[in-house]
Parts: sequence; structure tokens; C-alpha cells
Amino acid sequence: MVWDIVSKRGRRRRSCCAHAQLSLKPGWLLFFRMAADNSVLLGLVEEFVSGQVDSKAAETSEKSIVNVIHCLSSCRLSLTSSQPQTRGRGVQLLSQVLQECYSSLSERELEVLLAFYENRLKDHYVIIPHVLQGLNALTKCSVLPPGSAVSILRSIFQDLHVQSLMLAERSCVYNILVSLMESKEEELKGLGADFIYGFVQSVDGERDPRNLLLAFQVARNIIHRGYDLGKFVEELFEVMSCYFPIDFSPPPSDPHRITQEELVLSLRAVLTGTSQFAEFLLPLIIEKLDSDIQSAKVDSLQTLFISCMQVFQTASEGVESAGLSALSALVSCLSRSVLNSDSEDVLQVFLSLVLQDCQHHLCEPDLKLVWPSAKLLQAAAGASYRASLIVSAAVIPALLEQYNNETQVRSLLMYFSLCLLHKHTEDSVLVAFQQSLCSVVFSALTESGAGLQVTATRVLTALGQQPGECSCGFSVEEVVAVCISLQKIAEHVRDSEGIGRFFHDIIIPHLLGLCLQAALQSRDAGQLFERKKQHLWDSSCHSFTSRQVEIPEIDRLLVQLEDLSCTGPHLFSYTFAAKCFAGLVNKMPAGEALDAVLERVMKRISVELENVSSAQRTQAFTLLLWVSKALLLRYHPLSTALTDKLFALLSDPALGSQVADGFCVLMSDSLDVLNRNCHADVRIMYRQRFFAENTTKIIQGFNSAEQEKKSYYLKALSHIVSNLPRQVQLTELPVLLPLLLEALSCADQAVQLSTLSCLQPVLLEPPAAIRNQLEALFSRLLTLTTSPAMKVRIASLQCVHALSRLPEHMVLPFRARVLKALAVPLDDTKRLVRMEAMVARGEWFLLGSPGGR
Amino acid sequence: MSGGTRLENANPLIFQRSGERLLTATDEDEDVADPIDDREIFDIFSKSINDPEHPLSLEELNVVEQMLINVNDEESTVSVEFTPTIPHCSMATLIGLSIKVKLLRSLPDRFKVILVSSQTHLINKQLADKERVAAALENSQLLEVVNQCLSSRAM
Repeated sequence: MVWDIVSKRGRRRRSCCAHAQLSLKPGWLLFFRMAADNSVLLGLVEEFVSGQVDSKAAETSEKSIVNVIHCLSSCRLSLTSSQPQTRGRGVQLLSQVLQECYSSLSERELEVLLAFYENRLKDHYVIIPHVLQGLNALTKCSVLPPGSAVSILRSIFQDLHVQSLMLAERSCVYNILVSLMESKEEELKGLGADFIYGFVQSVDGERDPRNLLLAFQVARNIIHRGYDLGKFVEELFEVMSCYFPIDFSPPPSDPHRITQEELVLSLRAVLTGTSQFAEFLLPLIIEKLDSDIQSAKVDSLQTLFISCMQVFQTASEGVESAGLSALSALVSCLSRSVLNSDSEDVLQVFLSLVLQDCQHHLCEPDLKLVWPSAKLLQAAAGASYRASLIVSAAVIPALLEQYNNETQVRSLLMYFSLCLLHKHTEDSVLVAFQQSLCSVVFSALTESGAGLQVTATRVLTALGQQPGECSCGFSVEEVVAVCISLQKIAEHVRDSEGIGRFFHDIIIPHLLGLCLQAALQSRDAGQLFERKKQHLWDSSCHSFTSRQVEIPEIDRLLVQLEDLSCTGPHLFSYTFAAKCFAGLVNKMPAGEALDAVLERVMKRISVELENVSSAQRTQAFTLLLWVSKALLLRYHPLSTALTDKLFALLSDPALGSQVADGFCVLMSDSLDVLNRNCHADVRIMYRQRFFAENTTKIIQGFNSAEQEKKSYYLKALSHIVSNLPRQVQLTELPVLLPLLLEALSCADQAVQLSTLSCLQPVLLEPPAAIRNQLEALFSRLLTLTTSPAMKVRIASLQCVHALSRLPEHMVLPFRARVLKALAVPLDDTKRLVRMEAMVARGEWFLLGSPGGR
Repeated sequence: MSGGTRLENANPLIFQRSGERLLTATDEDEDVADPIDDREIFDIFSKSINDPEHPLSLEELNVVEQMLINVNDEESTVSVEFTPTIPHCSMATLIGLSIKVKLLRSLPDRFKVILVSSQTHLINKQLADKERVAAALENSQLLEVVNQCLSSRAM
């Protein structure tokens, strides 16, 4: 906007220097005239402008609106002078007056003045300082017109290079920013990212501490008052972070007394102010932690900690877990630092910070900060042994004290104990608290809250894993009470797979360990045994069998296991009882004792199985199966009798199918029992031996079986064969091939599939005997390519593919037939089938063709 | 008009293997029918055709690009536009023939196959002519080379 001088004769532009054209709005004409008559003021102004005498002119002005206009009009000549210095003095006077009376200006007047000042920013550099001072004053007005804030800032950012200005001017600029942010927040936010950019440009390279404090204040306002950082997040961070960590020694004569502490805290508030800085801040801190300067290290740590606290104010899980792991990593790093006798323990310092902040939250369970604080403490404690000692020493006693007050405290306690126990098993961190912790755990177990109980059980388990000392000092009653509640838990969660597994894998073995220790130590062991219920027992026993322990009272154990496996109602219990029993039998040394056991058990099984209407035939069969396996593995002479029984059972109407599947168990490796890892007695080549001894029986049985039962024989056979080593399969194929072919025509899809999968690897290296069977093989396989089951179709196509590799003279006669038949699965509804068909057909095309294989 | 300074069939640019097609749950569901799509046709080639001069698959040589395959399962049509590695290469015809043969052997009979070369339009007419293709395949030497092209390396 250009000022034009308006005379009573209407608008006429007075030609002046291009930069300084002055005019007043028509409404102020009156004032203009009044002022013009005030020659005294005029004289003073002249004096001011021409000389160096500063203050008189300003002082003689009273705080009234007229004075501004007096000044304006008096200055007008100087303001329009062609000499920059003169103009400068004019503006200086005006600014000084404004500083006195800015609060009484009206909006319209402000508009005019602001326009003038903004325009002056484009003027000679000599004038700029005064312009800025004037603007500084103006921006403090409360009645700034709308839009003025934006235009001021635009002008400042565009026309000035802030860092080229002198210190006082820069201060002015920052003060202007601060004032405008106070009063015109919405407008400035409207500027969007331009504002951020302009600010960043202005601050870049600032060195003066006073100015820096102002700049940090502006940055804090930007962050905390929700200005949109747009794409300048990183720029803003960069310009602020280059001062980190602050290294400032105030000069002794500093009148403002700025301390390093002030600067540090101010900057920290900026850097940790928003989660958007997190990705930049963390690497910076990590870098600075390597510094040799102690204060820098501490500063970094404290900044990190504050930023971690911020982490919990975001909802993002990713950020939260990243923050926690950063904290953990940090603590573990600090824990490795070497201490001199006189240096500060950095770890202590840091952890005391953490504890300070988090601890008091823990004991106020009503606040929502409990769990975040708990997580932070856990992350810190879990990082290293030293840290866990420090944290637990501080936290656990307080929690223990509060135990009876609040359920949440109890959960917290459990949570902590668990974390601490899991991480550090070398040396018990909780040694000092063990007694009280245990009693707490026990009482937790008898509580009714399920979640608490589970956690308490976990703690108990972990305690049990501590080397050596858990069983000391507990009375039998206590332990029994615990077991009873465990049992109750088990009853409640019977149907839950996960918890069942947890019990099975973790709790029971350790409980049993306890029992065993107790049993070995005292004769009251019997009492303990008595009091436990069965379904806690059996699942533990088989884990027993995995250790080479001298088991006291093994007979009794065997009897009970046998009972359980024959009578237990749950699949889980009777299966595992059978497995346990088998495991024990397998390892038992040969002799009368073993024979007696076997005789007894066989008798029982036979009785049970013969009783066709018995409800426990499945259990009896399971036991039979596992005992057979146990004996088979060690080549015990009785194994034949047992396996014969199994074969006989293949024709059993009720159990036939289960028996057929059972052969899979018999032949394949079991993971949890009766394998070499469990120190079972496993002789070499037991599978081959079994196969060799029983093939004839199977074939005979198959031939004589009724039609519906044939599939069981086939299933059993396929299980046996598929577990054989490849070489054996190859050598035995001639004998079995008719049976396998028969199996291919069997209607049972499972049989078909298992036969096909047996067959395919054999076909890759086919024995000579196969030539006689090709016709049957091809026709059966080709039929199966249209089976309703997708897997069967795929498997048969793979077999057909494999057959293309046979010697040409053997298979060429079938080529045409195969090509025609394979056209059908090319259009199968399932892609996987189509792909197999295409591959197979392609190979058959190449067969016998020039350039083919 | 081959440039005198340019080498014939200098090592062509090798493009990345697109990677195996990922299995989805419906692929193994018996009750859901999988329609034939472009990727399936493309996979026919990526696994089995060799450029006789270069021991790499045609996909790696970017002779056949996926975008140039268009399949319509319902209407039983498939069109493939392929780009030979060097436009004037005399092997282009052979590659075209091999692709055609492969398609004929791999697709159900109901499909009508349209095969065009994007650059050497001369051979398109030959490839479209069924009788010509059949006659070509009766030439045992030609068949030999085609079969060699089609021999899969995966075995």
C-alpha cells in the first residue's frame, strides 16, 4: 500500500523518493491541520531528526492519539526524505512514540500504521532496526485487525534475512513472533507450513542465548499448540536439534543471567514435545550418548526418558513397543558401563529418574498410568541384571506392603515377579523376597480371580525353576493347598487347549519335581502321593519317563498308570497314561519283574477287549498299542504276540479303523516318548524287521478279509510301507505291488492317497518287476485322475508324470491313451490340478518324439 | 536393415523372475472353481520354454510379457502377443511356433488360440494358420527343435 499525500484539493500524488510516499487517509485531515500548527513540536522533531538528540521529542509527547499524528505529521518531511539516515531517524522517532502509546491505538489506525511499517521493511537497511522496533510495539496491540498478523509475517519472512540482522533486531523478530502467537493463533495456523518454514529460516544459525530462549519458546508454542508442521517436520527438528546437547558457559558479566539449565530444559521441551520428532530424536540421542562429556550423557538420558513418557500418550502400539525396547536397550547399554570410583554411576542416575517418575504411579491403582508405568519399569528392569536388582529393590517391597489393599496391586506384583524371574535365572534376583513372595503367591492361588490364579501359577513355576531352593521351608499343608487350587483351576479350564498345554508342559513337571524331592527326603511322601488327584498325576508321569531317574516305588506307579489308562474317561488322560506306562516298560530291565508286569497287563487288556460290550475297549486298545510299540522297539520277545493281536483287531467291527490308524503310531517316531531323546531303548532297523516278519500276515489277512474290512488292511500296510526307508521300499515292491494296486481301486480316498504317495517315489526309480503291472497301473491311475478328491487327482497325475520316465519301450504303447486321458484334467476346475496335468501331458508329448528327452 | 555395427543377439536384457504364484486358501478348496487367468497362461511359459540360443527361460529374457496375455475362460479364447528378443531374429518364427505348440498341448481343446508377434508381423499370418502349423510339425527336424525348446529344465 502506498501512502499518498492528500491535500484539501483532492488526491494528488506528490512526487517524492520512490520508497517514501506519505499520505494520510481523508478522515484524519482534521488532525493533520491541527498538528501542522504545532510548531513547537515541529521544532523538536526537526532537532531530533537532524541531530542525535533522541529522547526529548518522544518524552514530550503524551500518551494520546493526537501525539502519534503530531509525530507523523511532524515527521512527514523526514519520512519522505531522500536520505536514508533521515528517514531512519524519522521512523525511529515514530517507533519510540508507538512504544509508549500502542495500547491506545484503534483498529483503523493500526491498519494504517501497519501498512506503513510493512512497506518500510523493503527500505534501506539502516532503517530496518527502527522499523522492527515499531512493529514490535504494534504487534503487542490487542486490537490488531484480522489478516494483519499474516501480512506482517509474510513481509518479515519475505523481505528480511533475519540472520543477517544484528542481535537486537533478531530479538525483535522473535518477540514479534511470540506476541503474534499469543494473540493471533488461528490466523497463524492458517499460514500453515509457510509459517514453519519462515521460522526455520529465521532461526537457522542463531547463537545468542537470549535469542535462543525466545526461539525455543516459539518452537514450543508451535509444537504444543498444534500448529501443522506439514512437510517441514524434519527441518524444524534439524534446526532445533543442532543445539543439542547444550554446552553453554555464561560469561561472568552477563546481565541477564541465563543459565545452562534454562537452555537445556527449554530445548528439551521442544525436542520431546511431539511424537513426530521421535524418529529423529532417538538416533540423535543414541549418537550423543557416546559423548565423553558427562553432562552431555546425562542430558541425553534425561531427554530420552522424557520422550519415553510421551510415548504413552500416543495410542500407537508400534511407537509404544519401540519406545519400550529403546528404553531396554538403553538400560542394558548403561549397565555395561565401567565405573570409576569417583564417577557417577550413570545407570543409577538414569534409573533413579525412571523410578522417580514411575513408582508413585504404581501405588495409585486408580490412575490410568499404572500399567504404562509398569511396562516402563519392566522394560528397564528386564534389560540387565544390575538394573533388575535396582528396580526390584525399589519396587517389590512397596508392592508387597500394599498387597492386601488392592487387587490390582496383586496383579502388578505377579507381573513384576514374573518378568524378573523369567529374565534372570543365573542368580535369583528375588532372593531377598522369596519367602514373602511365595506366601503371597500361595494366597493368590487360592483367590477366586482366574487371571490372578494363572499369573500366580506362572510365578510359582518360575520360582520352581530357580536353581535349587524352592522346596525349602514349605510345609506340606501349604503345598497341598496349592495343589488343590491348581486342581480347581485345572477343572475349570479343562476344555481350554492352551491352558491344558501350559499345565501339561510346565506346571506338572515342576510340581512333580517338588514331590520327588520331598519324597526322597521324607517318609511322609506317601501322604503327599495320596492326596494328589489322578489327573494331575498321569500327564506328569510321562515327562518323568523322559529322564533317567531311579523312580521309587515304580511298581505302585505302574499299577496306578495301568489303572488310569484302562479306566480314565478322558482321551488326554488315558492316552498319556498309556504312553507313560509304555515308556516305563520300555526302559525296565529284562527279568521277572518285567515279565510279571507284562503278564498282568496283557491279561487285563485281553479281558477288556474280549468283552465286546465294554465301554473301555478303546482305552484297552490304546494301552495295547503303546505297550506293543515299547516292546517292539526293544525287540522284546513278547512283541510278536502283541502285534499279532493288533493285526487280529483289524477285523474288529468297532475298532478296526482305529487299529488301522494305530499302525501309524506303531511305525512312526513319537515326539514325546519312546524316542532316543527320552533315552528309550530303540534298536536299529526295527521297522524293517517288523515289516519283514509281518508282510505275509498282512497279505493273508487282506486276502481273507471281508470286502469292507480290506481297506483297514490296506491302510495299515500303507502306514507301514511309508515309514520304511526308501531302499527297503524298493526291494519290497515286487511283493507288495499287487496289494498296492488293489489299494488303488479301493474306494477309500485316504487309502488311495496314501498308496499314491507310497507309489510315486518308487516309480521314480522303478524296479524291473513293474513291467508286468503296467496295464493295471495305467488304467487305475488314469481313472483316479478324475477322482472327486482334489488331492487324489493331483497325486495320481504326479504318478502318471513319473511313469513317463520309464524306459521308452515299456511305456510308449500307452502314450496315445495317456495323452487323450490327460486332456480331461487339463480343464479341471482347480488350478493346481490343471498345472499338474499340463506338466504331465507335456512330458508325455515329448516321449518318443524327436528332440524330446 | 540390421545395423552393421550391432551384434546379432548380443546378451539380451534379463528381466527379473516374477516369482512363484502365491497359493491362496481357495486354491485348495475343492468346492471353489478356479477360472483360468492370465497368470496361469504366463506360468505355462515361464517354466518350460527355452530360447535355443540362450539357456534361460523366455520370461527371464522378457520375450513374453504378462500383460500381453489375454484369456477369457468363459468364451474359451486366449490371445498372446509376444515380443521376440531381437525383432529381426530368424528365430522369432521358431519361438512363435514353440509357443503355439505349447499352448495347444497345454490348454483344453475348447480354447481358440490367437498368437501374434508384436514386431514381426509377417509371421502372424503363418501362426494363425492351423494347417500350416500342423504341416510344420510334421517336419521332424522342425519338430525336434520345437521339442528341444519345450523341454523343461525343471526336471
